This record gives sequence, structure tokens and C-alpha cells, in this order.
Amino acid sequence: MSIQVLRLAAFLYLGAATAYVLFFARPRHAVLATVGQWLLGAAFLAQGVSIGLGCREYGGTEFFGLRGGVVTATWLATGASLVVQRMYRIPSVGAFITPLVLALLLPTIVAQRLDRPEVVPETVRAPAITVHIISASLGVALFALAAGVAVMYLLQEREVKGKRFGALFSRLPSLEALDQLNQRLVRAGFVVYTVALVTGTIVARVVWKSAWTWDPQQVSSLVIWALYGGLVQLRHTGWHGRRFALLTLVGFALVVGSRTVINLVPGATRHGGTYK
Amino acid sequence: MNRGREIHLVGLSHKSAPVAVRERVALSGDALKEALVALQVATGVGEAVVVSTCNRVEVYVYGEPAAAADAARRFFLDLAPEANGHLYERGGGEAVRHLFRVASSLDSMVVGEPQILGQVKEAYGLASAAQSAGAYFSRLCNRAFATAKRVRNETEIAKGAGSVSQVAVELVEKIFGDLRGRAVLLVGAGKMGALSAKALRDLGADRILVTNRSPERARALAQEIQGQPEPWESLTSLLALSDVVIVSTGAPTYVITPALLAPVMKVRRQRSVCFIDVAVPRNVDPALAGMSNVYAYDIDDLQRVVSQTHAARAGEAVRAEAIVEAEVMAFLAERESRAALPVLAAVRRRAEAIARAEAERTLSQVGGKLDEKGRRSVEAMAQAIVNKLLHGPTSRLKEAAASGDSSLPGAAAELFGVESESAENPPNERRPPGNDPEPPAAPEPRS
Repeated sequence: MSIQVLRLAAFLYLGAATAYVLFFARPRHAVLATVGQWLLGAAFLAQGVSIGLGCREYGGTEFFGLRGGVVTATWLATGASLVVQRMYRIPSVGAFITPLVLALLLPTIVAQRLDRPEVVPETVRAPAITVHIISASLGVALFALAAGVAVMYLLQEREVKGKRFGALFSRLPSLEALDQLNQRLVRAGFVVYTVALVTGTIVARVVWKSAWTWDPQQVSSLVIWALYGGLVQLRHTGWHGRRFALLTLVGFALVVGSRTVINLVPGATRHGGTYK
Repeated sequence: MNRGREIHLVGLSHKSAPVAVRERVALSGDALKEALVALQVATGVGEAVVVSTCNRVEVYVYGEPAAAADAARRFFLDLAPEANGHLYERGGGEAVRHLFRVASSLDSMVVGEPQILGQVKEAYGLASAAQSAGAYFSRLCNRAFATAKRVRNETEIAKGAGSVSQVAVELVEKIFGDLRGRAVLLVGAGKMGALSAKALRDLGADRILVTNRSPERARALAQEIQGQPEPWESLTSLLALSDVVIVSTGAPTYVITPALLAPVMKVRRQRSVCFIDVAVPRNVDPALAGMSNVYAYDIDDLQRVVSQTHAARAGEAVRAEAIVEAEVMAFLAERESRAALPVLAAVRRRAEAIARAEAERTLSQVGGKLDEKGRRSVEAMAQAIVNKLLHGPTSRLKEAAASGDSSLPGAAAELFGVESESAENPPNERRPPGNDPEPPAAPEPRS
């Protein structure tokens, strides 16, 4: 059942992405942005329902793996981008974020599901793991948004600096606004990610009997945390604009890259699912 | 019934008259209201609208052609006798076309500039308030606004920046968003720089700092644009606290160089800064563009954007003219078909009166032998004969009028002998309702 609802959500995402991209191409038709926003809101609700159903069907197990993590992260990224659009009123962001969310969701909706629900051991069923999963997903979602905004900044900066005032020029918000939004998203993501790191350590102590085990997931998370922490600090010493945007992209590449590599190597990590 | 009344335009604009004349005849507020009332009285008309902006003053009157034109001409000559020779006049459809083109910004100095529509709306609003604009101008102006809206939506005539300082403002907006709480530094006392600084103040810049090699000129310019004079020696510290720097000195070399700016950027903590160099020869080293978070544009960059805009707008203007033409035609056709209505109404009134009289006569003779139902049948029959007889002439008259043929309505009036009757109803919007060929449209809501 949850997968059907998720497919419905994917359809709504497709509609929202189409509306946003059309709005980006024809900014005169402001109604497209409104349509996109409503469809995105509907998709967010549908995906939320799907996640709830998934929890009932699989007893929450799917959220311990990468797949559930991606679903949750896309869901939270959507929620965060809805909040951002409410606060800043820059609907052109939707043209960058919504297709990204859709692309991340696609493998999940065509993949086969677990045949039978797995049983989650009691040791893992602690409040800390719930907080850990939610904060880690939200942190990654915020980093993803920041990366999207950084791409917008870099594209726009190239046009403004190169004196070629093309299509982007009239469609994107000012560089200053993008830079500031990027900074806020990085800062918020860093705070949330810190919570994920702390709760992750607590869970590791309970499940793995040690807070630090040189597990690749732990190492990469710490590196990512340090990088974003450095980014927050660098801001105060005058890192602005282009360099900040580039570092945001590096950070997000690290997030995506490390997860992909760790998951490609079987048995590299005990993180996520292998708690038997 | 409106035959004999026509729209007439007398005006002068940036194309026909120098500013010295334009400023003499430009009226606003109460003075303009008084003038409108005077125009209304002088024409014995009822309707007048005056569009008065810094680039044009145009008097549109609606009434007997000779009296109206005369009143409109006097409006100018009474204010400024030297306006004679700078005036242009348009009558009828030409005047309608002119108003549509003006509202659509096709007649503006910078084609496609967005302010003019608001100014025309304001002119109409003022005339409505002074009750000098009635049913005719209500329809005409609403059509003009609709035309302007179509032009803006269906063509790209209003796209892009039309002047150098507008380009500068757009660039700054693109980099910084709005300028609230930011400082603009004006280096040198060129006229172009002062213009741009003023434009940036309109964008919300709080502080405008002015510096110049000669302290007196800095002070004078600062006073002119309500800026703050600063000594030339503190240029580097001024650069450190300004976000937009407009450079227009007469110096033959680069005043702002990477070597000068590098330490400044450290002090600024790499906060973005934008240089706009409007000086010739250039005062800002183009190598600056290579520094991170530094944006530098020279006059050629800005000019290039302006000429791109103008080229694009010239292309769009052709499409806009076609829209205007279609709207003018539609307006005139609508008017013509309205002009046929009074003749039709008069013919129908007369026919119905005859039918009613004949029915009554018949009923008084044989009515006693008929019951209520029978009497109603006789009345209905008389009405039906009228309807059937007039159906053909009615539709043909409407067709002829809509295609601009005014001879047929005239012939019909003569044929049916209703000429005298229609002359009893002077075309005035204060007529009792029912005979009104032009129901007064609701005034345009002020936006």
C-alpha cells in the first residue's frame, strides 16, 4: 500500500517539477509557480502518508537502510523547500529542487520491496534512534537544499560577472539573497547534523557496545560534520559568495559520495540494517 | 445621433516641442481640474481629458469638431503663446489611434517604458473626478488601457533596461537585492555618475558618499544629490564601507586598480562590491573583474545592454503596432454600430406606436365581441408584424454600420422619416435612460 501512495506522490512531484520548470522558462505566468507550490504541497502530504503506511507495514525497519533514509530525506527536503518558499518567496528555487527530489525518489518507486517485515531488535528501539534517523535525514535534506541554492548562485554569478545577461538573469533572485539563503541552510543543516552525530554515537554505544569503532560511516560522518562546521566558521572570517558556494557543493558531494561508496562495498559498515 | 460629435486631439510632446515650451503648459492637480472644467464649458461638449507628463501634454476633447478643436487649441495658446507651431492635431480615428499608441508606450521617448500607462490612467481618473470625462471617454480610455495591457502581455516591448542608469540599477539589484542600509560612493563629479547615484537612491540606498579631487566640487555635487561630501585622501577607507561605487572622474588613467583594492577587500572581509565606471577614458581597471566578489562594469557594458534592449524593442514595436491597429479598428467598428442604433430605435419606436394605435382602433370596433384571450391575440399579431417586417432591415443596418458604412443608416432614417425624431435626442449622457445609445460604462477602477 505504501508503495502505491509513494508512486502517487512521485506523480505529484512530476507535476510540480513540470510547473516549476515551465514557470522558470516563462516567468510571466506566475500562476505556474502557484500550481507548482500546491502540487508540491500535495506531494509532500502524499509522501508523508506513504511513510506512515510504510512504518505500519514494515514495522519501521525500512528506515534503517539507505532506501528509507533517502525517502525520508527527500520528504524533509520537500518540507524544508516549502518552508523556504513561504519565507523568501523565490519560486524559481522550485525549478532546481523539485526535479532533484524526483530523481532521488525514482529508484525507490521502481524497486522491489521487502517480502516480509523484519523484526527490529529491542536494543535498537530506543528514542535515540528515532531522533537519529530524523535528524540525519533532515540534516542531509538541508545540505541538499543548500547545494541547490549554491548551484543557482554559481550560475547566476557567472552571468553577472561575465556581463552576459541571459535567461537566468531575469529569473533568479539576487546574488546576495542566494548567498544568504545558502549560509542559513548550511548553518541550520550543521546544527541538525550535530544532533544526528550525537544521537548516532549514543546508539552505537548501545548496539555496538562502543561509541567509536572506526566504522566507515562514523568516519565519513565526522569528516562531513567537520567540513560543514568549518564552513560555518569560515563565514565569519569573510568567506562569501563563490568560494562559499563551491565549498557547499564539495560538502554535499562528500555526503552523497561517501554514502554511495559505503553502500556499494558489501559489509563495509555495520550501520543501517545489519544489526542481527 | 453621434454624428456631428467627434474626438479631437491637440497636443505637444518631446517630439514636437522643446522642454521650455512643454513645462509652460504642463498642469497638474487643481489647476488641471479647473482647466478641464473650462474646456468642458468652452466646447459645450461635456467631455475632455488632459494627459500631462514631463514628455507630453495632450488635450483630448469630444464634441462638435470645430468648437472642440478650437477649445483645445486655446488651452495651449492661453498658457503659452509660443506653443504655436509646436502643436499637432489629430481628429477622429487618428486621435483614437494616437491615444492607444501613447498608452501602450509606443510614442514614448524610451519605447516600452512602463510609467506612461499609469500616467494616462491618472489623467483619466482626474478627468472623471472633475466630471469632464463621461461615457465616451470611459469607453475610449478603458479600451486604451486594455490595449496597453495586451501590448505588454503579448509582446516583449517592456522587457530589458532602456537606459544606462536603468541598466546600472538592474545590475546592482541583481547583485545586492535591495540597497537598504548600504552606501553608494560616487567618485568624481561627472553628470552620468550623478544620474546613476540618484537612480540608486530611488532603489533605497541610505547613504550616498561623494568624493572628488577638488573638495569644492565634491561639496557642490553632494548638495545637489543630497549626498555626503568626503575628502579624496580617504578614498581607500570609503571604498571599504561602500557597496556600490560609481566612478566618473576626468582622470586619464585608472583610478581604481587591483593593487589599490586588494587590501580594501581584506578590510571588507570579501563582502561583494560593484564598480560602475561611466568615465571615458575608463577609470576602473578591467582586471578588477578577475578578483573574487568584485563586479566591474564600464560604460560600454551598460551601453551594450541598452542597445540590445532597444533593438529587441524595435522588433517588438512592429507587433505592438499591429495590436494597436486591431484595437483601434474594433473600437471604431463598435462605435459605428452604436451610431446605427438610434436610427433603429427610432424606426422601431415609430412602427410600434403605429401597431399599438391600429390594434387599439381594431379592438375599439370589434373588441366587444372578443374575450380577453382574443384581445391579447390581436395585440400580439400587430407586434409580430412589426418584428417580422423590421428583422431584415435591422440586421442589415447593423452590418452596414459595423463595416463602417454610415450612408445606409442615414438613408434608412430618411426612408422611414425618423430624422426629425432622432434630432430631438441630443447626444448627451444626461439623457433619460432608455434612449441612450451609449450606456455610461463604469469608470475604470483606480489601480
